[in-house]
Amino acid sequence: MIDAPPVAAGGFRTALRRLRRNPAAIVSAIVLLMIVFACFPGAPLWVSHACNHGPSDQNIQGTITENGHKVPVVRNDGTPIGPGLRACYLLGADSNGRDLFVRILYGGRISLEVGFISAIVCVTVALVLGILSAYAGGVTDSAISRLLDLIWSFPVYLLAVALATAFAVHGIAVGPIHVASTSLAIPIVVIAIVYVPYVARPIRGQVLSLRRMEFIEAAVASGAGPVKIMLAELLPNVASMALVFLTLIVATNILTEAALSFLGVGVPLLTPSWGNIIEQGYQTIVTAPWLTIAPGLAIMITVVSLNVLGDALRDALDPHARLRIRN
Amino acid sequence: MRRILISVAVLLLAVSAGCGSGSSSSAGSAGAPVDGGTLRGAIPDNPDHLDTGISFAVEGWELLEATNNGLLTFKKAGGGQQSVIEPDIATAMPVVTDNGRTYTFQVRKNVMFSPPVNRAVRPSDFQYAIERLFHVGSPGVGFYTNIVGADAYAAHHASHISGIVANDKTGTIAFHLVKPDGAFLDDMAIPFAFAVPTGMPYKDISTDPQWRVATGPYMVKTYTPKQQIVLVRNPNFHQWTAASPKGHVNEVDITIGTTPEQAVNETIDGQLDWYMEAVPPDRFTALRAQYPKQTFLFPRNNVTYFSMNTRKPPFDKLAVRQAVNYAIDRNALVKIFGGQGIPSETVLPPGFGSSYQEHHLYPHDLAKAKQLIQQAGATGASVQIWTTNADPAPKAAEYLASALSQIGLNVTGVKAVDDSVYWDTLLTQSGDPQIAFNHFDQDFPEGEDFIDTTLNGEHIVNVGNNDVSNTDDPTLNAMIDRTKLMPLGAARNAQWAKIDAYFMQHDAGWAPFLHLEQATFVSPRLHGLIFTGSYFELIPEMWLSKQ
Amino acid sequence: MVRLLLGRLAGLVAVLVAISVMVFVIFNVIPGGDPALRLAGRHPTQQNIRQIRHDWGFDQPLYTQYFDMMNHLFIERDLISYQDQTPVLPAIRRGIPRTLSLAIGAALIWMIFGITIGVLSGLYQGRWLDRVLTVVALAGVSIPIFWLGAVLLYLLTYKYHSWPVFSWIPPGGYVPFTQDPAGWATHLFLPWITLAVVSIGFYARVVRNSLLDTRHQDYVRTAKAKGLSPSRVLVRHTLRTCLIPVVTLFGLDFGAVVGGTVILIEPIFGLEGVGQYAQESVAHLDLPPLMALTLYGAFFVVFFNMLADLTYLWLDPRSRTT
Repeated sequence: MIDAPPVAAGGFRTALRRLRRNPAAIVSAIVLLMIVFACFPGAPLWVSHACNHGPSDQNIQGTITENGHKVPVVRNDGTPIGPGLRACYLLGADSNGRDLFVRILYGGRISLEVGFISAIVCVTVALVLGILSAYAGGVTDSAISRLLDLIWSFPVYLLAVALATAFAVHGIAVGPIHVASTSLAIPIVVIAIVYVPYVARPIRGQVLSLRRMEFIEAAVASGAGPVKIMLAELLPNVASMALVFLTLIVATNILTEAALSFLGVGVPLLTPSWGNIIEQGYQTIVTAPWLTIAPGLAIMITVVSLNVLGDALRDALDPHARLRIRN
Repeated sequence: MRRILISVAVLLLAVSAGCGSGSSSSAGSAGAPVDGGTLRGAIPDNPDHLDTGISFAVEGWELLEATNNGLLTFKKAGGGQQSVIEPDIATAMPVVTDNGRTYTFQVRKNVMFSPPVNRAVRPSDFQYAIERLFHVGSPGVGFYTNIVGADAYAAHHASHISGIVANDKTGTIAFHLVKPDGAFLDDMAIPFAFAVPTGMPYKDISTDPQWRVATGPYMVKTYTPKQQIVLVRNPNFHQWTAASPKGHVNEVDITIGTTPEQAVNETIDGQLDWYMEAVPPDRFTALRAQYPKQTFLFPRNNVTYFSMNTRKPPFDKLAVRQAVNYAIDRNALVKIFGGQGIPSETVLPPGFGSSYQEHHLYPHDLAKAKQLIQQAGATGASVQIWTTNADPAPKAAEYLASALSQIGLNVTGVKAVDDSVYWDTLLTQSGDPQIAFNHFDQDFPEGEDFIDTTLNGEHIVNVGNNDVSNTDDPTLNAMIDRTKLMPLGAARNAQWAKIDAYFMQHDAGWAPFLHLEQATFVSPRLHGLIFTGSYFELIPEMWLSKQ
Repeated sequence: MVRLLLGRLAGLVAVLVAISVMVFVIFNVIPGGDPALRLAGRHPTQQNIRQIRHDWGFDQPLYTQYFDMMNHLFIERDLISYQDQTPVLPAIRRGIPRTLSLAIGAALIWMIFGITIGVLSGLYQGRWLDRVLTVVALAGVSIPIFWLGAVLLYLLTYKYHSWPVFSWIPPGGYVPFTQDPAGWATHLFLPWITLAVVSIGFYARVVRNSLLDTRHQDYVRTAKAKGLSPSRVLVRHTLRTCLIPVVTLFGLDFGAVVGGTVILIEPIFGLEGVGQYAQESVAHLDLPPLMALTLYGAFFVVFFNMLADLTYLWLDPRSRTT
């Protein structure tokens, strides 16, 4: 499906020039930077300067003063206070009396981290498998290809939920490495595994077509070892593709994190993420719709920006590639 | 996606409790009941079973109450009388002899099984019902292992349970017990002991019309899982006493698969009369304001608590367990449950008559809690909290996490496990965590059910361990064992109340925080809503006003 | 061609076998999921648990249990769930029309809108319409689908339900087409929209790019040189060719939707199709329905992929030689 010609050495510079002429790409890059800023350095700044409520500080029995009246943060029937123009509880509170705005800022850290780290893991594994499979050929190729087929045929969410549930009870124990069941590593690993075939397959295709090209044959003729060829010759030539994938996979992974958390097997409780803020908020969508709507908008804005950027990057680097992963 | 704890009571049975406020548990004062009409009901999913020998969830018992009968029954009335036990197919309360070890019942001769069996109920049918439990892997066998010969029967060493003597000629049935047990009367009033025709197969007959036989005013005409249950009048039924309900509506059609949200909307739009689950907590407040005559908050017999595993540090220290009790603000937790509960630190619920005696040992006091933790040398101890994923339990667990952090414990995480496996996991020693969200709904409305089941250290086992806190206090065990031998009544109730307070003061393996209520929303034409602890809304009492 | 087809079919079976083994292994290593405890209920005795283990075959070696399950699934066709001991296959059969109603309706909507927007975008390449449509299209792809469903449901069936424009939208549930066609459509309206919105954008992009590629190809130029009208060139020559990748993708996507995405969307709307059944089974760690449903899902993914490849071969004669 991907039949892109290899990007020449000067490709990245040309691409950058093309990107700079695309207003949508520039806007989305700025929005992304703003989101990253708000979540990482911004969150503690907000807590220390605007409102002294951490993301996990609960205040069910507390009150705040509005227009001279004392208003409970959570009413007796469990309904939390809604959004309003104030320093604390700008976007309202949740059922435990926590500040939703602060939770979204801190939750963004987790969602971005999970999306980004799992995308790097996914693309790295896919690069290794894709290049190895295409270059080695033979038994290695068929073994890797069948493995990819298998993961790929497994319905994404069933696979993710099955893996996450399996790991969630007592964690992952591989030899000396033990990952606690409430660790963030679990959703990261699960999300990464699930999308490996979507990236590895096109990379394998790309490498297959590269192998037939003269510069590879020349390298082989000059006596370069397979490892050197894979690292020095093949890797740089699939790098642009991997970069495009990385952007799009981060977007997909943020959505997947949200979906898994929504299904109850994503980021563990106590750690806010956009996904599990929605999951908890959805239970009270009728009385406190802001708890569902606000984190969803945060996801949407981030993912749109990533997708627009990824789309522009693809157009700039590799106009023929058709990449997409269903969320 | 989570299911909502308040509305779903799988594995756990809630029986009603009138709680003294008769007006709150019986609804509809629109004149005398009218007969006829079709009641349109709905339920979110299949009831667990429609087999008296296997069903062990509220939804199943709610339906079986309308179709089947036992020797005894819990009084089918609202108010505070629901823990009173009355004769049903027995002509009178049993004669108790042999120092409380033998119960002899006289069986009515004129109670008929519905088609296709079409014969009178015999004493041997009750014996068969209990013996059948051991063949169908029934969750109810535990209630009957005190009958002489039950163990031998379970081990396939006997052709019958020797302690059950049924005589179809004289119409009597006698039960011989290993040890006296006042709550045996309760065991005879729950569906596991209901009459089934001799010969009923040793398998789940929920979907088998041949064997799904009724004795009560209604019978299940059709049950198509995931689609519909239809109850119609049992043609062989006639009222055997004035107290046995005859049923008002002609038919009950229950649609399976309606979500709580849909149910609320359909009720507002006039398409639904009655929903078998609770209203979503987030909609109840608005509904109550708009439809005051159609909304009800019924008291249930249950307790929600955090159980602390006394075998695992830091909860092996009494001071730490007491500190947890001081650390939680029970009113805050009630808010997490949508305000639908009574804040409490007792084990037994208010519906248990005089065995419920409020005590106030643990006012909310963080400073005191922190000090206790320091004294115990537990500051900085690592704690992982477990909870079911059914809303709002995870929110309560997060609240606990925050409280424990504030008193100096180091909370490493809150682990949410799917509701369908959570409870089984808690009941094994290998899965028993340090501290867990926990909940107990009644099987029958008597102190023994709560206290003996969950706090008697003599019952601690590795698998199926209901004493989740592993509380094993010899003094407490002895008090429980003595009380179990007493006949039902005020003296026994006073004893349960004393044990409740003793446990909370000297063992404190739990931090109880509330008794949940059941929020119900019905159509304006539905009347006669009587909520009892054991069967929830009584279907035979419901009637529809003419339009 | 026949050899290719047979090879593909053999591959399909092999993948399904491998997946079934994988699911079985995953679910037998999960601690805490012991079905015997679940079946034993609240007051289990050791005797009772042993009995259940024996009756359900949990005391058999794993491979025996595996073959036993496959036997009940494919040959006896009487597989029973652990959670409520109801038969699995009738439940799936009941779910299939619901899931297909959802997926086919949504697919129609996303194809129609996707192709229209894509063609418009392509025809006005580089102009403001193209840029706006591109961003709108990508916005659709970027919405968490369950969130969109939940928010639409909240807004249209609760918050603004009293507005006459929305009052006809029911709050979830499903009505069979045979029973009430209008009710069927109104109940599926929101789910269709939700599912379509997240796909329209992507198809629009693919059609646009494909259109741009084909417009510059030789035979299109020839057709133009022959003096055919521009609209005729577009419809007869350009569109036909540029839809080839769309068909391929549709195969992949439709399989992925029926085999997976419905898990997220059906529970929101209470459609009770196979997706909701899958979501419930996986949450309950209920192996028998999960096994059946995973195989069902994988079948759709693999089968539609195969179908897409074959259609591609058939539509694009050039690829037959390779």
